[in-house]
This record gives sequence, C-alpha cells and structure tokens, in this order.
Amino acid sequence: MLNVGVIIKLEPDFSEGNVSYNSDGTLNRAETKNILGPHSAVACNAAFYCKVKYGAQISIGTMGPPIAETALRQAQVLTNAEELNLYSDRLFAGADTLATAEVLKNGVGKMFGGGIIDIVFSGHRASDGETGQTGPQTAWKLGYTFLGNVIEFNIDSDRKVVIAKRLISLQGMDTIIEEVESPLPVFITIDPSYRSIYNTVSQRLLLNKFRKEGRKRSEDYRQFLKVYTSKNLDLDPKRVGLQGSPTIVYRVEKIPRARTNRKTEIIDPSNPNNIMPLITKIIQLARGK
Amino acid sequence: MSVSVSQEKTKNDIEKYRHIYVIIEHFEGKIIPVTLEMLGEARRLMDEFNQKYNSSEKVVAVVLGYNVRQLCNDLVTYGADSVIYADHEELKYPINDIDTKIIAQIAKDAEIMKKISPEYEKTFVKPRYMFFAADNIGRHLSSTVLAELDSGLASDINKLVISDLDIRHEHKTKGQSIRYEKVLEMYRPDFSGFLWTTILCLDNKNPEIFREYHPQGCSIIPGAFKPIEKDSSRKGTIVEYSPNIDHNLKIKILNRRVIKKTIDYETCKIVVSFGRGIKDNPEQNIKLVEEFAELIGAEIGITLPLSKKPYQISQQLDSKYMIVDRVIGTSGSNVMPSLYIAIGLSGAVQHISGMKDSEVVISINPDENSPIIDESDIFIKGRMEDVLPILIDQIKKQMSTVSIRSN
Repeated sequence: MLNVGVIIKLEPDFSEGNVSYNSDGTLNRAETKNILGPHSAVACNAAFYCKVKYGAQISIGTMGPPIAETALRQAQVLTNAEELNLYSDRLFAGADTLATAEVLKNGVGKMFGGGIIDIVFSGHRASDGETGQTGPQTAWKLGYTFLGNVIEFNIDSDRKVVIAKRLISLQGMDTIIEEVESPLPVFITIDPSYRSIYNTVSQRLLLNKFRKEGRKRSEDYRQFLKVYTSKNLDLDPKRVGLQGSPTIVYRVEKIPRARTNRKTEIIDPSNPNNIMPLITKIIQLARGK
Repeated sequence: MSVSVSQEKTKNDIEKYRHIYVIIEHFEGKIIPVTLEMLGEARRLMDEFNQKYNSSEKVVAVVLGYNVRQLCNDLVTYGADSVIYADHEELKYPINDIDTKIIAQIAKDAEIMKKISPEYEKTFVKPRYMFFAADNIGRHLSSTVLAELDSGLASDINKLVISDLDIRHEHKTKGQSIRYEKVLEMYRPDFSGFLWTTILCLDNKNPEIFREYHPQGCSIIPGAFKPIEKDSSRKGTIVEYSPNIDHNLKIKILNRRVIKKTIDYETCKIVVSFGRGIKDNPEQNIKLVEEFAELIGAEIGITLPLSKKPYQISQQLDSKYMIVDRVIGTSGSNVMPSLYIAIGLSGAVQHISGMKDSEVVISINPDENSPIIDESDIFIKGRMEDVLPILIDQIKKQMSTVSIRSN
C-alpha cells in the first residue's frame, strides 16, 4: 500500500459564468467564486490513479483560510481520500512561495501520523499566482527527489522506484520527452496534459467503486478533516507568512499600453467592397507570396 | 524618519553579496536564446550599476554540462565578464537535484572569487542577484536553488530596474522607513495580463526577525529582453569548477526522445488566435476558427484566459485547443508571422507582447475600444460569428477562381 500525498489550492474559478472581470480587464475577486484549481484537480487524478492501480491511501493538504475546506472536499470527490488536512493560521497569511513551502513541508510531514509519504503530487502551477514555484520548493525542503512536468508514470512497488515521463519544452527547440527512474519518495508536479488511463476491466470496476465511495465520503468530509495551525505543525512563526517571506509585493500598476507604429484601418464587413482587397491579401499570404 | 545612508554603511560596510549570476541553459551544444537575452539585460543593468555605485561588479555566467567549454567564449561575446563552468558526464542533461546542489555550491564558493574578482574575495558570501529562464528547466531550478540558498524569487519577469528605495514595512522594517540600496525591482505581468506587479526581495532589517535574503532571484520570460550584439573582441575570465558529484545519483535518465512540436509557430506564415469572444457559442465558434485557419493554412493560438478552460466544450476541441501550449503572449509563445489574425480577443498587454512583431495584423472585434485596435493594421468591426463566415465564403470563391485561372 502506497502512501500518497496531494498538495492542492483553492483558486478563482475562471469558468464563464463564475468568473467576473472588472471593466479594465482585471479579475473581480469579490464577485468570482473559488474552486479547487484545475491543475490541483489534475494532481488529484494522478493520486487517484495510484489508488486504483497500485493500492494507495491518499492524504490531501492545503494551506489557506477556513474556506479552503471546499477545495479539500472537491479533492476528496476526485480521490476518495482517507485524510484531508487544512493548514490554516492567521500567521500564514501573505506568505510568498518560500514561506508557503515551509508550511507545506511540515504539513506533508504530518500526513498519516508522520513518516514517509511515497509520492507527493502537486499541480503544475496555480491559475492565479502562476509562479509554479511552490511545488519544487516544498520538494526541496522535504528532501524529496523532484520531478516536474510529468505526463505519465508507473511505480515498481517491489523495487520502490517510479518510472516517469517528463515533458521538456524549451524556447526555439523541439520538445523532449524524457524518461527517468527515481527511487521513492518523490515529489511530482503533474503536467496539465496528464491523463489517467485505465486499461483493464478490474481497474475500471475498482475505479467506479472508489468514485462512489469518494462521493459518499465527501458528503461528510469533516469527519476526515484535520486542521493544523503553526503550533501543531511545529512551525517557527518567523519562517511563515509575511514574516517568513523574503519577497514582498511592492507595487501593482496597470501595464501601460504598448507603443505601436501601426496605422489602423477600420473596416465595416457588411459592405463586400470593403472586404475584397483584404481577401486578396490573405490569399496571397496563404500562398506564400 | 529615514535612516541615513551613511548610518547604514557603517553598520554594513562590508558587502557580502556581489555580481549578477546568470544560469545558462543549452541543448545539444546550442545556447537557448533566452539565456543570451538574460545576459544582455544583465550587461545593461551591470554597466549602469557600476557607474552609479562606482564599483566593478560582474555579469557571471554559470554553465553546467558535458563538453561545454566551447560555449564559454560565446557567452563572453554576448556580455558575460566571467564564465564559471562545470564539465562532467553526469551533467550532460539537466537533472534538477544535481544541478541545484552544484549551482548552490558555486554560488557560495569564495575560492572562485579569487579568479573572478580578487578585490571581493575576502568578503564574498553569495551572489547579489541571480537570473534563471522561466521555462520548463529554469522555472524549477530557480525554485530549488533559491530554496537551498534560503532567499527570495520572483517568476516570469519582463522588466528589471535596480534602485535605492525607502521601504516602510510592517515586518521587514518594523514600520520604520529604512533605505534599501541596490534593490532589484522585478516586474511581472499578472495572470490577467493587465496588471504589473513589482516584487522585491528584501532583507528583514527588523531585529526581531533579522535575516538577510540574498541573492535576489528571478526567472525571466523568454523573449522579454534583447541580447546585446555579439562582440568578438570582448574579453572575459573563464573558470572551470570541479563539482562535487554524488555518485549515488538518485535519478537515472532512461531515455530522451525528441518529438517534433505539434504546434509550429515558427515556420508558419499565418497565425490565427482567438479569445473570450467565442463565449456566446464556444463549440461552434472554435469550429469556425478551425475552418478558417485550415483554409488559409494557419496555425491556431489562444489567449491566456482560455487556457484556464472557462467553457464547457467537447473533449476533442478542449484537449486540442484549450491548452497552455497554444497560449500566445508572455505566458506562452512569441510569434512573428507574416500575418496575425486576432479574433475576438481584447489585446491584454501580455498577449500583445507575444504577437506585436507580426508583419501584418488583422483583428476581428465588435468593440472599437479594445486595446487590440492599436496593434492592428486592419480592424474588422464585427462579431466573429458574423465576420468569419463572410471571410470563409469569399476566400473559397476567390481561391477557386484563381486556381482555375492558374490551371
């Protein structure tokens, strides 16, 4: 039985109808709902895959205000998790990635009563912060081998190793798929293109059983929930939240419009005469002239 | 009251942090362009810095790899004063764990200073600033290196300024105004593409939580800066570093397979991008865009908000188009085709920066106040649902007549 951890995040829901933008194009946070972030959901799917394929108990962790419980609950639906952990303390507020990683490190350390977690998954990056730093920093602080952009993985339980495929895409270069082998424990950030594939009938049966169980568990998710503060995570208050953050947000401003040299011609498409020269131009370019 | 500069100086007159370290990425013997862009920006910043502060700090390039010695001279011609390289078979391909340890070793190595800048050898503790590429390798490497060096990091930067700032902060300065010198102002566009956030990495000067945070680290968006012109007469110091390699390597690379990019923005002549303007009927509208693009042989791009999958659409279209790989802009690819067609997108700055070098720009948008109008040669005023069918229809007609004639 594998011990699997997942780090998730409550994020603004960018889906149409739930997201609200201000007239200047910025996000209206007060009007926008929050949900389990889409990259966190992919990480949950990867953890669930472990449960179906290898047999695993799953523990989910998130740092955030009490409202972040909703993300844990949604994650339990996806994973049928045995344990939900909320790391919540006013002292954590305003943390940058390093101070967040400090909390998550100790959080992972408390999963399933302490001890080694074989695999920890986290999302590629958060939809709102978009730094992609928290995963690798947590991995480093835990001392776990870090594998980023993982698109596929298999575990060899006897040898206690993971074999993973990673996507490496660099500016101006062809994409590389790298296959690596690493001993457990590992910390994996899952690439957004990851898909769980269940090949056998028995896997699919198990999947349905766990899904049903997950939905049932989530109805009474508080029964699975543990709430931690800086105290019972044994954290030094100086290393968390604003106090423990090397970086600060100094200024937020509107990005000025770029200077442009283009002279814009405005076309009314309802008059075919306006369109014809344009069509000719597009065709010429399409034919490489 | 602000603590005067001289007071600060006496308290801290020995500077422990020096230079900009730029972490170089390369692939199959070629330097990745963003690396030269970082060197260019580091060069500009450092020239100004040395003049302003009357110092002789350096742009230091750090290269890990196997048979990388020949890259070092190139790095000098592109702006590095010094190059530190570690050459080892185990370093042939980037592996986060190993690279992190070696870069952290190099960053703390005062011995190297003897060769690079002997005047700072005795006082050097760590780099002042550190630049990484905001790509699949640098993004993770910057995170783990800065975690190891226990300092701060800002990601996806597209503007940098070094300045002296009076800071008043509840925790960092305990509410006092304190002058911080030589602070790296790191500008990052936020996820909306409309806001610019300036991140600072600052020492805690508050005695209760006193801690020094150096290097000030950042990852830099590919395409954000320009390299300097190559100057073969530039001179620099090249230093070999013998890394301490753990031979019980935890990670083994089993194989590496190069796959052709499925989306090719580099060689295609036309790029058609769409944004939230598809919202009234996403499924149908994407199919319209698809038909249009296919007709004119264009590659398809999207705006950043669409990569967050805001619409319920068929799995087939979703996994083909609503993906990060198709994002045009600072969070994705920079393109410069002969023709860029912007459909139903408003033109957030982060998007514009990824397409502004296109030769001809045509946009289709019902709103004349959208910023995209400034970046358009031709602005077709209308909804995509109305305009695209007309274009598709007319192009089909003209193409058939032209091909008949040419036959």
